[in-house]
Amino acid sequence: MIATLLSHGWKKFKRSVAFEKELATNIFLGLIAIMVFGYAIALGFFLEKIITNGLNQPLNGLLFYYFGFEFMLRYFMQSTPALDVQPYLHLPISRRYLVHYMLIKSLLHLLNFLALVLFAPFAFTAVATQAGASAGVWLLSIYLISLCLHYLVLIFKKGLDDTIIGFLVLTGVLGVFALADYYNWFNVSKISAAGFQFILSNPLAIVGLLALLLAIYYFNFTYFLRNMYSEELTPNKSSKDSASQNLAFLQSFGMLGEWANLEVKLILRNKRTRSLLMLSAFFLFYGLIFYTNKTYTEGLPGFLLFVAIFITGIFMINYGQFLFSWQSNHFDFTLTRPVSLAQVVESKYWLLCGITVICFVLSIPYVYFGWHILFTHLAAALFNMGVNVFVIMNLAMWNPKKIDLTKSSMMNHQGVGAAQWVMGIPVLLSPYLFYLPFSIAGYPTRGVVAVGLVGIIGLVFRTKLLSLTTKRLQERRYAIAAGFRKD
Amino acid sequence: MISISSLSKTYGTEPVVNVSSLSIRKGESFGLVGNNGAGKTTLFRMILDLIRPTEGSVTIEGKSVQGNDEWKHYVGSYLDEGFLIPYLTPDEYFKFVGKLHSYSDADLSQFLQKFEELFNGEITGKKKHIGDLSKGNLKKVGIAAAFMGNPQVVILDEPFENLDPTSQIRLKRLLQLERETRAITYLISSHDLNHVTEICGRIVILEKGKVVKDMEGGDLLAQLEEYFKA
Repeated sequence: MIATLLSHGWKKFKRSVAFEKELATNIFLGLIAIMVFGYAIALGFFLEKIITNGLNQPLNGLLFYYFGFEFMLRYFMQSTPALDVQPYLHLPISRRYLVHYMLIKSLLHLLNFLALVLFAPFAFTAVATQAGASAGVWLLSIYLISLCLHYLVLIFKKGLDDTIIGFLVLTGVLGVFALADYYNWFNVSKISAAGFQFILSNPLAIVGLLALLLAIYYFNFTYFLRNMYSEELTPNKSSKDSASQNLAFLQSFGMLGEWANLEVKLILRNKRTRSLLMLSAFFLFYGLIFYTNKTYTEGLPGFLLFVAIFITGIFMINYGQFLFSWQSNHFDFTLTRPVSLAQVVESKYWLLCGITVICFVLSIPYVYFGWHILFTHLAAALFNMGVNVFVIMNLAMWNPKKIDLTKSSMMNHQGVGAAQWVMGIPVLLSPYLFYLPFSIAGYPTRGVVAVGLVGIIGLVFRTKLLSLTTKRLQERRYAIAAGFRKD
Repeated sequence: MISISSLSKTYGTEPVVNVSSLSIRKGESFGLVGNNGAGKTTLFRMILDLIRPTEGSVTIEGKSVQGNDEWKHYVGSYLDEGFLIPYLTPDEYFKFVGKLHSYSDADLSQFLQKFEELFNGEITGKKKHIGDLSKGNLKKVGIAAAFMGNPQVVILDEPFENLDPTSQIRLKRLLQLERETRAITYLISSHDLNHVTEICGRIVILEKGKVVKDMEGGDLLAQLEEYFKA
C-alpha cells in the first residue's frame, strides 16, 4: 500500500505539466540544487577552518543560530503536504494510515538532509578527534533537532501560513534574538554551547531529543487526524474584510483607478501574490547585508547602485515579470469587454511606479548609513520608474505563461519562461551603461546623477513610451491569449 | 441504512444545510433535487464525512460516519473532480481503487466490461491522464470508480451533467441494470427532472438547506414540474 501511494507521489511529480513542458527549467533548477548541496558539503569540510579562524566561536555556540536560519528556510520553502491525500479521503483507506503517510512522506524534502550534509564532515573530523564515538551522538542530536523543526514548521504553517500574524511572529522572534545578542541581555550562543556540550558528555541525553521528536510527531498526528477535512486542511480562502481592500482614493482616477483597484485586489486576495509581497518586504532588509560592511560602502561604490536598484525595484521586478500572467485566467475577459488596452497598460504602469515610490520611502531609514545611500536610492528609484518599468512591461509580453494564483510563490516556478530568466540582466545592468563612463573618468557621484537623470527623461517621455508599449500589446494580444489557454 | 438527525452546516452566519431528520432505507433510490445553492452537494459531503457538520450527525448502518473508516468499504461515491487523481491514467486509477477492494486483474477487467458501452472507447487503454480528460469523460471515470467493490450505497452528484445524450441514456440503463441484479441504495442529485424521476422512487426537494418536500409514489415528474414552475 505505502509503495503504491509513494508511486503516486512520484507520478504526480513526473507527470506534472510543469515537469514535462518546462524540462529545461527543471534541469536548471536541479543543477542549482546539486550546486547548493555541493557548496553545503564543501562548507561542511571547511567549517572547522572557518570557525576557528574567522568566527572565533565554538560551533556549538553557533548551532542555535543555524537552527534559527533553518527554521526560516523551512518556513519559506516547506509546504503542508495535506492536499496530497484529498483524492483518497472517500476511498476505503483508514485515515490514521493516510495521516501517517502524509507526515512521513513530508520527510522527503531536501531540507531534511541539509543539516546532515553540513555537519557530518565536521563531526567526523573535528568532533571525533576530541570526543571520539560521541561525535555520532552529536551529529544525531543535530539531525533530531532538525526533524523536530520540520514537524514544528508543519504545524506552525498550518495555523499561521500566509497571515500577517505569522510574518510578525517570525520577524519578532528573530528581532528579539538579534537585540538580545546586541545588548547582551542573555547570551544565546552560551546556552546553545552548553546544551550541545551536555549531549557530548552525556550521550544518553539523546533519548530525550528522540522523545521530543516523537511527541511533536504525535501532536501533528492527532492534530491532522482531527482535522482531516479538505476545507480545513487547505488555507482558508475567507473573504473577510474585503471591503476594506477597496482603495477609495483610486476611484477618483476614473477607469484607470478601477483597473489599478482590481490589480490591488488581485495582489491582496491571492496566495501567490501575497507571499510575493511578504518576500519583497523581507528584501527591503537586503541593504543591511551591504551597508553595514565598509568593504562595500567605501570600497565598491558602484556596487551600491546595484543594491539600490534592487531595493527600490524589488516588487516591480518580482511582480512585473509576470505582469500579464497574473491575469491569465481572465485575460479573455479583458479582450472580450469594451476595454481600452491603453488604460490597462497605463494602470499597470502607475501601479508599478506607485510601489516603487513606497519601496523608496520605506528605504529612507538607510540614510543612517550615509546621505549618499539615500541619494543613490533616489537615483535608482527614478531610473526604475523611468526606464526599467518599460523594460519589464515589454519583456513580460514575451510568451507569458499561465499562473495559478492560489499556490505560494516560494520555490514556485510556474509561469517562468525565457523572459523571466533574462529579465534581470537589462534591469540590473542597464544603469551601469550610464554610470560607468563617469565612474571610470573618476566621477562616481556624477555617474549616479546621470542614472537619475536618465530616469527623469524616461518619466518625461512616459506618454510616448506608454503608447509604444500599448501598441505592442495590441499586436501580441492573440499570441498572449493563446498562450494562457494552454495549460 | 442512512439516517440524518438535526444536521446543520453554517458558514459564517449563513446556514447552508439544516436538516432536522431524514432516513434513507436500504434498497431505496433516493433523489435529491433543488435549485443552485440549495445545499445538495454540502449535504452529500457531510454524509461522506468530507465536511465537518456544525451540528448533528450522519449514521450509516447505525454508526456515525465522522472519524470512522468502516463505511467506506460499502459506500461508493463520486461528487466532483476532487475524487479523482489527475496525474494517473484512468487505467491506473481503476487499478488502484480496485486494489483497495482487493480486485484481481481478472476481477478488474470483468468489472470494467460493464462500463465498456458507457466509456465508448475513450477511457480505457488510453495514455491520457485523468487531468486532461473532458468534463464528460471525467464524470464517467468517477462514476465507474464509485461502483467498485460492489457497494451497497452509491452516492452521485449530478451524474448526468456534462454527459452527451447517448451517454445519459446509457448511464440510466446502467444504473437500472445494477439495481436489478443486486440490492443497492442510490443517492442521486440532479437538475434533470426527467432522469431523476426515472431512476428514483423517492424525491426530496431541498431549498435553502431545508427539506421542503419528501415525495414517494404517484406521478413524481408532474409534482416536481408543478413545484418548480414558478
